[in-house]
Amino acid sequence: MSDNHKVIGRSVPRIDGPEKVTGAAKYTGDLKFPNMLYGKILTSPHAHARIISIDTSEAEKLPGVKAVITHKDVPELKYGLSPARWDENIFCIDKVRFVGDKVAAVACVDEETCYRALKLIKVEYEVLPAVLDFRHAMDEGQPLVHEEYERNINTEIHQEFGDVDKALAEAHHVRTDVFVGQRTYQAPIEPHSAISMWEGEKLTIYSSTQSPHYFQYYIAREFGMPMGDVRIIKPYLGGGFGGKLEPTGLEFAGAVLAKRTGRPVRTFYDRAEMFAHNRGRHAQYMEITTGVDKDGKILAAKANFMMDGGAYTSLGIASAYYAGALLPMTYEFDNYQFDMFRVYTNLPACGAQRGHGAPQPKYAFESHLDNVAADLGIDPMDIRIRNARRPDTVTPNDFRVNSCMMRECLEQVREMSGWDEKKKNLPHGRGIGVATGSFVTGAGYPIYRTDLPHAAAFIKVHEDGTAATLYTGSVDIGQGSDTILCQMAAEAMGYRYEQMKIVAADTEITPLDFGAYASRQTYMSGAAVKQAGEEIKKQLLDMASTMLSLPADDLECEEGVIFSKSREGKSLTFEEVARKHFVLKGPLLGRGAYTPPKLGGSFKGAAVGTSPAYSFGAQVGEVSIDEETGEITVVGIWDVHDCGKVINPRLLHGQVHGALYMGMGESVWEEVLFDDKGRIRNAELANYRLLTAVDMPPIQSEVVNSYEPTGPWGVKEVGEGATNPTLGMFSNAIFDAMGVRVNSLPLTYEKVWRALKEKREKEETIAA
Amino acid sequence: MYMPDFEYHTPETLTEACALLDELGEKATVLAGGTDVLHKMKVGKLAPGHLVSLKNLDDLRTISHEPGRGIVMGALTSHNAIYTSRLLQERYLSLPMAAHTMASNQICNMGTVGGNIVNGVPSADLPPILIALNASIRLVSSNGERTMPLEDFFHGSAETVINQGEILADITIPDQPATGSTYIKFGLRRSGALAVVGVAVSVTMDGDTLQDARVVLASAAPTVMRARGAEDFLRGKKISDELLAEAGDRASAESRPRDSIRGSAEYRRNLVGVLTKRALRKAIDEGHA
Repeated sequence: MSDNHKVIGRSVPRIDGPEKVTGAAKYTGDLKFPNMLYGKILTSPHAHARIISIDTSEAEKLPGVKAVITHKDVPELKYGLSPARWDENIFCIDKVRFVGDKVAAVACVDEETCYRALKLIKVEYEVLPAVLDFRHAMDEGQPLVHEEYERNINTEIHQEFGDVDKALAEAHHVRTDVFVGQRTYQAPIEPHSAISMWEGEKLTIYSSTQSPHYFQYYIAREFGMPMGDVRIIKPYLGGGFGGKLEPTGLEFAGAVLAKRTGRPVRTFYDRAEMFAHNRGRHAQYMEITTGVDKDGKILAAKANFMMDGGAYTSLGIASAYYAGALLPMTYEFDNYQFDMFRVYTNLPACGAQRGHGAPQPKYAFESHLDNVAADLGIDPMDIRIRNARRPDTVTPNDFRVNSCMMRECLEQVREMSGWDEKKKNLPHGRGIGVATGSFVTGAGYPIYRTDLPHAAAFIKVHEDGTAATLYTGSVDIGQGSDTILCQMAAEAMGYRYEQMKIVAADTEITPLDFGAYASRQTYMSGAAVKQAGEEIKKQLLDMASTMLSLPADDLECEEGVIFSKSREGKSLTFEEVARKHFVLKGPLLGRGAYTPPKLGGSFKGAAVGTSPAYSFGAQVGEVSIDEETGEITVVGIWDVHDCGKVINPRLLHGQVHGALYMGMGESVWEEVLFDDKGRIRNAELANYRLLTAVDMPPIQSEVVNSYEPTGPWGVKEVGEGATNPTLGMFSNAIFDAMGVRVNSLPLTYEKVWRALKEKREKEETIAA
Repeated sequence: MYMPDFEYHTPETLTEACALLDELGEKATVLAGGTDVLHKMKVGKLAPGHLVSLKNLDDLRTISHEPGRGIVMGALTSHNAIYTSRLLQERYLSLPMAAHTMASNQICNMGTVGGNIVNGVPSADLPPILIALNASIRLVSSNGERTMPLEDFFHGSAETVINQGEILADITIPDQPATGSTYIKFGLRRSGALAVVGVAVSVTMDGDTLQDARVVLASAAPTVMRARGAEDFLRGKKISDELLAEAGDRASAESRPRDSIRGSAEYRRNLVGVLTKRALRKAIDEGHA
């Protein structure tokens, strides 16, 4: 692919860099408005309890308290993120379903008064037996989390493609393994926050959200308002990772409190409340069976899963489908069965965390595949290359794959990591593992049913041509989308990045975009931006054609200079042509929109996992195990990604590092723990062990030279894909180092130590 | 996070501080670096009516060597001040290293050695190495002062012998014949981790004979503890890998850990053995490290 791009493909500095590193950037929680009140939500101390009564009278009498609200003061309409299961109320009506469920809220003159007021609200509960172990949630006689969902089944999936039983019967080798994944939490550095205010019937909310559009839609729906009367603004945002995609309750409570008091109200979660709101990774029980031929070619796979949904649906229906839908991506096989139960428990709700449903099933499948390779005496790298998906193929569940360099990723990471040498020579206690991953480049269908485009953009060239402003509804949550979209706009216009300005993520000013989730923005928002930029360029060239008396198709515009392709010396600056356009024709504007084509099959749930393009990647990790303590030292990680054309290499590798960082945490260090009353034991950052900078190993991140024919300039996903292989990669590296498999996440030092101890004891018994 | 109401006092001298504590009685809590007290208040474990801040008592921030007595360290010395002390680095590098690895830079700037001791938790990182170095402490009150070996200060989980009205003024590390010391902390990540188990040792070597050894365990019992059985076993013996491993096993058998969020009792007992063996080897080979 010849690359004569001027602006994309370069590591330009982040457009928000100076603001962020100097501390000038204002996040939602930094904003203050005249007369602003502070709001806090009272939550349930019980995992499952009936609400007998709520008495707010004492709280209302406290000086400084301006409003106290309960379910009686808000709409009863249930909300949620997955339209098929809207199951949450703004405040609980009959009963609370987890420790942290929302019961009431206050608005006060300051934060301190809020805490005093919350203590004065008297709630009488009748404590009910709780469902805390998801493995038993469907058992006979278990209490029901929601009376209308029998056996606590939230989502049930049974899919079969091809003839699995026949293929297994004919297979050379069939193996079944069981793995368990843990609950983790996104733990973004910025706590959730919303500031709500009314002007007449119009509601404005500043919010730390990954999707102003979905917020706008769900808030308008909840209050029965036209969407045009709801304005959502996203200030700078400090990380989401899937945990800020949906309404948090802060904006509903804040909006009602602001209406009541006629004053702006800031509502917010502290760290412990963030953990309680949760929406992190589901814990999963995963049974995997595959049948292979004598060379390790996969003939059929069976996935039998169960996941802990927590008390509400959140985006969990999609998580449940994703868990199975993305399993057949990186390896080709025709026969596939996927069964899943997502169950309700009296624990915080789980949702979409980086990689969505995919990382844990990938951990299970990649660990299982190494076991199969060991059974057959095949090198783990070879079995993967043998099964690697090829371009222009269709998965058994009807996903069309265009560009795919799975095989090249594996071959490159094999080379880069020194796989063959290490496999032969690593000393005892050292191990090396490989795993693959793939992810959607944006979801093929929106979260709620609509035929609106998924992304749109405007570009306005300023009247003198010295600047152009990109207006996009896309959401920079730290990943750098504002920067790369400005690069893409400048490239399409023939302009300079340094002259770009951006206004993003304000539903009143910027055009529709579904936001930052499912790794969609570079591709989908980028497609809309490219179109808008090209519309500018066309108008400019038409104007320049008149000014130079040359045909428009003889003209080109690059980096702010319009020139004749055939004659030397005939050129104009972008500025002078843009100014002339404004004088003669009015504002110079470009518009763009993107709607994906119809994708996927027609079976139940066929839409989840569809995408116009898929990323692929392979990771190798090397670990060293201290056999006396089980301590794991990560010696190095090598990642090769097939992510299409790279717009900004530095930001791209930043995404890989970040995804790897989260994947590493989930592999060995992170787990949300509960006591026997359903209370989180580590809702803080001392014992919820996010890794620190000094824990990070040397990482070598590279890309294959790939091009996605459907994407703007050939782009694809990167932000989540690099989380998918990591858990399985660690499992396999540890397996290689020790010769024993830990079958549950996280692969803690203690579990590794125990596995080694049991292995030793077994060997001693045999020897005796 | 809700911080209960309190009155804040900032006495100018130790005498004034002691007088205030007498006057306020049980309602008062002493505030040094605040890294434990403020956290306890925020999570609702502590609600003192009065906080008596020692922040103006600059005399309690010094580290000096007093001939005949040893190194005297004011109780308000921060972890980072210990880490960067030239005097300590030269004499007992093990102590600055223990201070350095205990927490984030922010905590190490605020937290004090006195607070780390008085807080009394078994996972505290400084008491083990200080006990290994035979440190003593001086407690001051309006009624006078008393001095005791640091190891006698702790007598139960988060319980110490400090009386209402007493303030920990300073810590003394006596001049001693010990030829090596170290603290090995086993945490579940490389920074900002509490000890699953910590082991501090000091050794006095004469050629390859262990004249004396101290083995002190963190997070291995309701309180920081000396593994006296292991110490007795080692005393006067010629060192070998087998000897150090046996000492580790003995320390492990003496330890009384419990199951917690960071590790099971069984795992911790194993760690005590492994870390004791390694700490002894390190102190023997590398001196105060």
